[in-house]
Amino acid sequence: MNQDGSLVRLENIHKCFGDNLVLKGIDLAVKPEQVVVVIGPSGSGKSTLLRTINLLEEPTQGRVWFNGTNLTDIRTDLNKMRTQIGLVFQSFNLFPHKTAMGNITVALRKVLKLSDGEARERALEQLEHVGLREKADAYPSQLSGGQQQRVAIARALAMRPKLMLFDEVTSALDPELVKEVLDTMKRLADEGMTMVVVTHEMGFAREVGTRLLFMDDGKVLEDGQPKSIFSNPTDERTKEFLSHVL
Amino acid sequence: MTARLERLRDWLRECTPLSLVILAAGGAALAIGILGTLVFLALEGLTPSTELVETLTSQSEGAILYTAIALGVAAIGSGFLLYKRMPTKAAREASVSGAALGLQAVLFALLLLWFRSGEKFDIFVRLFFSFDVLGPFVDQFLNAAKNTIVMAFLAQALGMVLGLFLAMLVLSNRVAVRAPARAYINFMRGTPLLVQLLIGYLGIVTGLGFREVSVFATATVILGLNAGAYTAEIFRAGIQSLERGQMEASRSLGMSYLQAMRYVVVPQAVRRVIPPLTNEFVILIKDTSLVAFLGLSFVQRELLAWGRDAYAETFNSTPFLVATVGYLLVTLPLIRAVSALERKLRSGLVGIGA
Repeated sequence: MNQDGSLVRLENIHKCFGDNLVLKGIDLAVKPEQVVVVIGPSGSGKSTLLRTINLLEEPTQGRVWFNGTNLTDIRTDLNKMRTQIGLVFQSFNLFPHKTAMGNITVALRKVLKLSDGEARERALEQLEHVGLREKADAYPSQLSGGQQQRVAIARALAMRPKLMLFDEVTSALDPELVKEVLDTMKRLADEGMTMVVVTHEMGFAREVGTRLLFMDDGKVLEDGQPKSIFSNPTDERTKEFLSHVL
Repeated sequence: MTARLERLRDWLRECTPLSLVILAAGGAALAIGILGTLVFLALEGLTPSTELVETLTSQSEGAILYTAIALGVAAIGSGFLLYKRMPTKAAREASVSGAALGLQAVLFALLLLWFRSGEKFDIFVRLFFSFDVLGPFVDQFLNAAKNTIVMAFLAQALGMVLGLFLAMLVLSNRVAVRAPARAYINFMRGTPLLVQLLIGYLGIVTGLGFREVSVFATATVILGLNAGAYTAEIFRAGIQSLERGQMEASRSLGMSYLQAMRYVVVPQAVRRVIPPLTNEFVILIKDTSLVAFLGLSFVQRELLAWGRDAYAETFNSTPFLVATVGYLLVTLPLIRAVSALERKLRSGLVGIGA
């Protein structure tokens, strides 16, 4: 944990892509067991913010603290720190040449240096958790989108992370497959996992989120209880956005 | 195979009798023209070359060719005149195919008729089809074919190891790492292979007096160093063709850059580059012929060196023809394998399986 009791702490994060300023000074502290849902129009910087937390995007300016370690310090062993932060992508990014089992075990064996047996055991445990134990030997191309995304979640969870990041994980799914993924995430939240979730699923934000951020134009415009923001948004742009999506 | 046969049977069922007659006429014209000539040649004897000349200029061969022309012209005429009136698509295809086969038969027959009337026809046949001169060289042909294949395989193996290494360097973000690899690749790709071979063997091995190093070994290494440059570009393109998400997913699981390359990126890239790598191998096989210019020792000769030596002893070009066939025997199956593999890759069947 960081000194202030938070698990993640972003200080004055700025991010440019060329001349394009995507994040304009973000300060954010996420406490353990919080489920922070980030909403906002496309291009508002939500995904960039999320990817900054595990330093997949390196901030142009500002600091990222995770569990008492400054990730933006060049001397920090990022590979080691990243094992504690799970990230699930919109496009799944499963490894197509490996089975579901292989997808999960490769990092367990090569990064955490578990034995083959331990890695398999842990992988089966996680596949069980997302309800896909019988698909252990299936290749990604043999799975539906929803199943692929659940394997991706199991792959991240198998590292036993302290924090899970979800980057629009249901956006690429057919509508009938969204629910199985959201249910998996909801159960994870119920189990007390700290989560930061970028999503367009307002139902999920309202039901599962313990905290809601509204972002636009690289800034956090709203930060509070999901229910109060949904029923009583303060910022004009939040009102406008919610009137479009609800 | 049975599925293909069934499709053929369905197709035939949809053809009209007339369209099948046209197809048969065209096919028969080509078969009589080419196969008939070959069978006739075989029956009359392939050696000596005067026998071939006699057979080809005989009246019987003339009859074969004129028959082919007559059938071919009939197929062309009826096929092109009637195809638009055919009631089914299959019938139309059959009549157009018949016309096309007929056209090929007519062209072949006319060409051969013109050819055999030429005044140097007998010299041409003697130079390229004197199979009796090959006698003393046949054993050596197999040895030369083996040498060609061994040289190409060893060079390709060296090229692939070197190429993968170079590709990794070229993909580095750091100029200091990238620049030397890029310079090497550009040098190897920008200079003729023959020059590299001459510099390597005459310039370095002979020039500096490494007498115990054979031409074969030197040439194999230089071919490999050269192939490494081309292979590097193939691997680089393959690695860059992977979605960025693969690297991102690996890194977010805590893998280092090199681990991500080794366990995730390269295994997928290798699968994607099998077709271009095989093409490169075909080119390499052909490039081994350049080694003939270095003067190989008797037992280390590859196909072209064999052909050239046999030519020098007989003053006959038949060995060149045989060497050409030797290259085709190796390259054609590979070329076919590449197309088959590309079809599979397109249909997404490769990629499953470790």
